[in-house]
Amino acid sequence: MEATVGALAARPEARSEATVYRHSVTTRVSHWLFALAFVVLVMSGLQIFNAAPYLDASDKSDAHRRVLAIGGEQTPGANPTGVTQIFGLSIRTTHLFGYGDDGMGAESARAFPGWMTLPGYQDLASGRRWHLFFAWVMVACGLAYFAASIRRKDLALIVLRREDLPKLLPMQLYYLKLRKEPPPHGKYNPLQKAAYTTVLFVFTPLIVLSGVALAPGIDSIAGPLTAVFGGRQFARLWHFLAMVGLIGFVLVHVTLVLSTDVVNNIRSMITGRYRLGEHEGTGI
Amino acid sequence: MKRALFLASGAAIALAGCSKASNALNDNQTIRRALSSAESLNHTLIGTHGRAKVYSDADVDREFRVNGFDTPSDSSYARLLADGFSSYRLPVDGLVERPQKLTLAELRTMRSYDEATRHDCVEGWSAIGRWAGVPLASVLALAKPSQSARYVIFHCMDRASDGTPYYESLDLTQAAHPQTVLALDLNGKPLDADHGAPVRLRIPTQLGYKSAKWIGRIEVAADFKHLFAGHGGYWEDQGYEWYAGI
Repeated sequence: MEATVGALAARPEARSEATVYRHSVTTRVSHWLFALAFVVLVMSGLQIFNAAPYLDASDKSDAHRRVLAIGGEQTPGANPTGVTQIFGLSIRTTHLFGYGDDGMGAESARAFPGWMTLPGYQDLASGRRWHLFFAWVMVACGLAYFAASIRRKDLALIVLRREDLPKLLPMQLYYLKLRKEPPPHGKYNPLQKAAYTTVLFVFTPLIVLSGVALAPGIDSIAGPLTAVFGGRQFARLWHFLAMVGLIGFVLVHVTLVLSTDVVNNIRSMITGRYRLGEHEGTGI
Repeated sequence: MKRALFLASGAAIALAGCSKASNALNDNQTIRRALSSAESLNHTLIGTHGRAKVYSDADVDREFRVNGFDTPSDSSYARLLADGFSSYRLPVDGLVERPQKLTLAELRTMRSYDEATRHDCVEGWSAIGRWAGVPLASVLALAKPSQSARYVIFHCMDRASDGTPYYESLDLTQAAHPQTVLALDLNGKPLDADHGAPVRLRIPTQLGYKSAKWIGRIEVAADFKHLFAGHGGYWEDQGYEWYAGI
């Protein structure tokens, strides 16, 4: 961290400390709470997945419509094996998926290993407790963020617009260091807009609604919701895919935060103050 | 090679620490209590108001998955099984004005429910069966719960490996739901031993562990705190939610 600050200080053009107020208190608090909730929800969700380690593209469970299955075997006299099947294609995943860390210092047959789950040991009841509580934390963060943005009338700043489309490729070339300067943009660059629009309007609503659709009580009062996803088991598959999508986003997000002016980036999400780059603005 | 080994063992230690930390958080009683607060919120918001989806015969699983505890193997259940449940009596007692002792034949004459519904297990899987039987409300109407009654408790004939009997409970609202039934038939045939014969509960608006099998007695009560660990059901006593609509 020290080294980064020092390097910046040595470059006069980057030293300008004039900052703008980039993120409101609601945005900052909901961002970090959402991040915490996401980690808890993924880990407890994998714990819940382990209780029925397969996903079917159907309403009821149906082995003929199985998309993903993780299984493990430990037969006396043979080495234990873990096998992951995707669309019927078997991949040996011993010591990672199907057979691996049991969360208590040994190994056993289980789909996702103990270090990925909450709690580490196999305990569906506890996993559900964490999951059903932090699901509300995630929903509360989302609602608070949207309510505050709409009230400030600046939700449009983060939404990808038709005018941004021609700027997507130049922005990507800039990130790949194949172009010297980014295309001029507002508060968010075109790729950020594309990513945040997908997360805010596709992945997060999808993960919340598909999760809700799994509940028999919800299916009873809002049957069309479960039907939209193709039934209960299919909703479980959508729920899993939305998680994969959000994990993909988080990996890219964290990589970019760390690889582009990390101190400035993280400060903006803690104090709200952000030093604008040469090609950045504060508008759309 | 040495470096790779060093990195791998470092990663292994870090990952083991991950489990230790998450296990410790999970075992913290204050945190557990806080997390449990979501249950009453879900119960209030979702409740047991809606109707579970009804399926056609084409959707039914002919071989309905057998799950739950092992089929009772004690001598009294063996006797019931041997005499085709002709000596079976279902007591409906507790806080009721007219305690009942129903025979299987009496229950069969009260049959008015016949629907294919989905069984959603807490583990995540689902199966569809066609269930026929007596709405719980009809049986309760015979027994007339008294003013102080709040819960219906199902005492079952199956036991966990440590001998603890299975039991479940519903509140009177859940019990009055038209799809909350004492099932006698599965897929057009009388329940077999493995599926909870002669009488099991079916409540498709909640998760499967609520649908208790092998019912031996129905007790109407003001509370369930005096029973076993006090959480209103065998799985509830193991940490699962009493409200199982989600």
